[in-house]
Amino acid sequence: MLKKRLIAIFAISALTVAGQVAVTASSEAATKTITVASPWHDGGLEIWNAAIARFEKANPGINVISKGNQDMAKSLADINAGTGPDISVANGPGNVGWFCATGAWKNLNKLINSPTTGIKIKDVFPAAVNDYTISQGNRCALPFTTEPIGMFYNKDLLLKAGFAKPPTTTEELLAYSKKLTTFDANGDIKTAGFVPWVGYNDYGFTANDLGNMFGAKWYKADGTPALGSDPQWVKAFNWQRTFIAQVFGGGDFAKGKTKLLKFVAGAGSPWGLNGDFPTGRAAIWIDAVWMIGLFCDPTENWVMMPCNKPPVNFGVAPMPVVGALKSSLYGAARYGGNTMGIGRDTKNVAEAWKLIKFLATDTQLQVDFANYATQPPSTIAALNSKDLVYPAVYKPFIDIVKNKRSGYHKIMFVAEHLDEDELNNLMAAWQAGTVSNISTALKDASANIATIIARNSK
Amino acid sequence: MPLSKGNVLVPSRKRGASTSLNPRRKLKVPYLFIFLCMLPWILGFILFTAYPVAASFYESFTKFNLVESPKWIGLENFHRMFFDDPDFWKAIKNTLWISVISIPLRIAFATFTAWILTKPTRGMKFYRTLFFLPAMVPTVAATLSFTYIFNPAYGTINSILESIGIKNPPFWFMDPHWSKWGLILLGLWGIGDTMIIYLAGLLDVPKSLYEAASLEGANSWQEFRYVTMPLITPVIFFSAVTGIIGSFQYFTQAYVASGQVRDYSHSMYFYATHIYTEAFRAYEMGYASALAWVLLVITLLCTLVMLSTQKRWVHYPNGSLFK
Repeated sequence: MLKKRLIAIFAISALTVAGQVAVTASSEAATKTITVASPWHDGGLEIWNAAIARFEKANPGINVISKGNQDMAKSLADINAGTGPDISVANGPGNVGWFCATGAWKNLNKLINSPTTGIKIKDVFPAAVNDYTISQGNRCALPFTTEPIGMFYNKDLLLKAGFAKPPTTTEELLAYSKKLTTFDANGDIKTAGFVPWVGYNDYGFTANDLGNMFGAKWYKADGTPALGSDPQWVKAFNWQRTFIAQVFGGGDFAKGKTKLLKFVAGAGSPWGLNGDFPTGRAAIWIDAVWMIGLFCDPTENWVMMPCNKPPVNFGVAPMPVVGALKSSLYGAARYGGNTMGIGRDTKNVAEAWKLIKFLATDTQLQVDFANYATQPPSTIAALNSKDLVYPAVYKPFIDIVKNKRSGYHKIMFVAEHLDEDELNNLMAAWQAGTVSNISTALKDASANIATIIARNSK
Repeated sequence: MPLSKGNVLVPSRKRGASTSLNPRRKLKVPYLFIFLCMLPWILGFILFTAYPVAASFYESFTKFNLVESPKWIGLENFHRMFFDDPDFWKAIKNTLWISVISIPLRIAFATFTAWILTKPTRGMKFYRTLFFLPAMVPTVAATLSFTYIFNPAYGTINSILESIGIKNPPFWFMDPHWSKWGLILLGLWGIGDTMIIYLAGLLDVPKSLYEAASLEGANSWQEFRYVTMPLITPVIFFSAVTGIIGSFQYFTQAYVASGQVRDYSHSMYFYATHIYTEAFRAYEMGYASALAWVLLVITLLCTLVMLSTQKRWVHYPNGSLFK
């Protein structure tokens, strides 16, 4: 009897254990793991991971491994080794053309256009955001927050010079700068109105900004470079020289250039409150949105809110544009933002899509991250969210992002902004006075970019 | 007993010579054990040197963007380099400039500094240490310091130059015409490692030769020209060859300095910078590999040219090292 009982107990136990093993195995088989590599750290990563936790809760079959502090070079090395993350995040759109064309990031066109699980991108994202996530018809990226460029101006210095409002045109910018610029006894620049010099303030003023002010096009509709054919570029470059000559050299470009070069050499670090804008060494300053965190925070902790006692009395406005095109250009800007894509080797495309769609469109994540990182969200819903908290001085950036005329230049098959580098190099040579014919030089730069694209596309 | 051949000691191979001191006779270690001991190095060499070198040679004939598989394109990369890449020629021009100017200057400066350091009788060790110290400063730190002290707005150098009456001192790293001179000065400041070799060479010159020259009525210049110079030519030759190799690989100082001043003008764009840019910014690994192999060939050719000329001007007391 005892023997029978023991056999029965053993049999029941065995069945129970086997059943549990089967259940566990089947549940493990159903769970898909998705890895996400992002460059976020500290508070940004916490917000990101909290959103991922919400996603996991809402999608029980998907387990997400989030790796922070991963720059794109690391993700790319992993993709190359065949062990890349399912989703990777890149700072900026500089490599989107390259990711799309090489297949490092999968083409998302079909997934986006799916009537059931897709995204109506024109309704969800602002226009510029949709520009910088597509390359030559292949949308391989989705956005995550934006990085608009705007004009910061020192209210006190402008008022002292008799200006109650910021300049809105390039002509006004020049006139303002003439009044705002002061020189010391040696003739060196003491305070600069505005410094249109590539290399000043790290990447503070680039050929992209210069072109932006004149509505100059980077590429034609067919994707060929337009630097040599769009007359706005020549106007933009000539304006830069005229500005340097008139504002800093009393009409003499060489003199102005020498003075400006010395001024640029003496610039404080743009990453601290000893930079030229917070110290009042420069009155007007073009920079990305996140600088507002520094200019609002006397403790240099880059905290934007509440911004009620900023170390410098500043305002923000859209970048000035050439007067002739003011009605069509002013208020808009060419801006980029973080991008993310699904890696080449992912085996769980459907789950990765579900997650990347969530990360790109979840309003709470967008708002929380924007509030933390001071970068405006990249969805229309989040841009209009009441939970988005910012000081009044920040609003122009939100408006720039929302502006339907804002955009980004066509993204072609080039790596790491090499097309923009080509023009920045030309701008450096032009401002150094070593280029005499800007028309020819622009045509050469255009041809060089065309060569890079053609070579990459072979 | 060792036999003397000239003044070089060679081990005795006489039959019947004492064998108790011959290490070969006592070493009874199995070859397998020796091989196992060497295995980590062999594996490291194969994995981290031999394979990458072979792979880079193959990739130099391919279009390889890191993500897609390498695609064979024959000699296209090499054709592009010479006929379709203005940055290649810019990098070559800058590299040749720095080689031609810096190598002779470094040799002259190292010789002069070492010569000075043979003179003091008191505090000799202190001075030698002092002159060697800059060589111990990490390259990045030294370059950052130089861009600071050579800053035209607040740098010490221009303040000194202005105080002695130079009205418009150069803008150094910020001026495309002067930036490479800034790098040259940085190289001369850190001459310590080369100087030590020269110092050893100078101290090796037998004093008896100076005494003989003095008795013959030679003045200081004649002593240097006819005694010191010939006897330190092996050191000069060595530093010239390593200098050529080093100048073609010149990277860190230029990369850091150009990053500091945002050198969009590419005045500090050297050959190694070009390789780096093509590999890690343009992701053109195939082309970057081709550039690296051309660098090897250029360096090899320069070294061979130097070797072929040494018979004419390098004086080895016991004959050429490369015979």
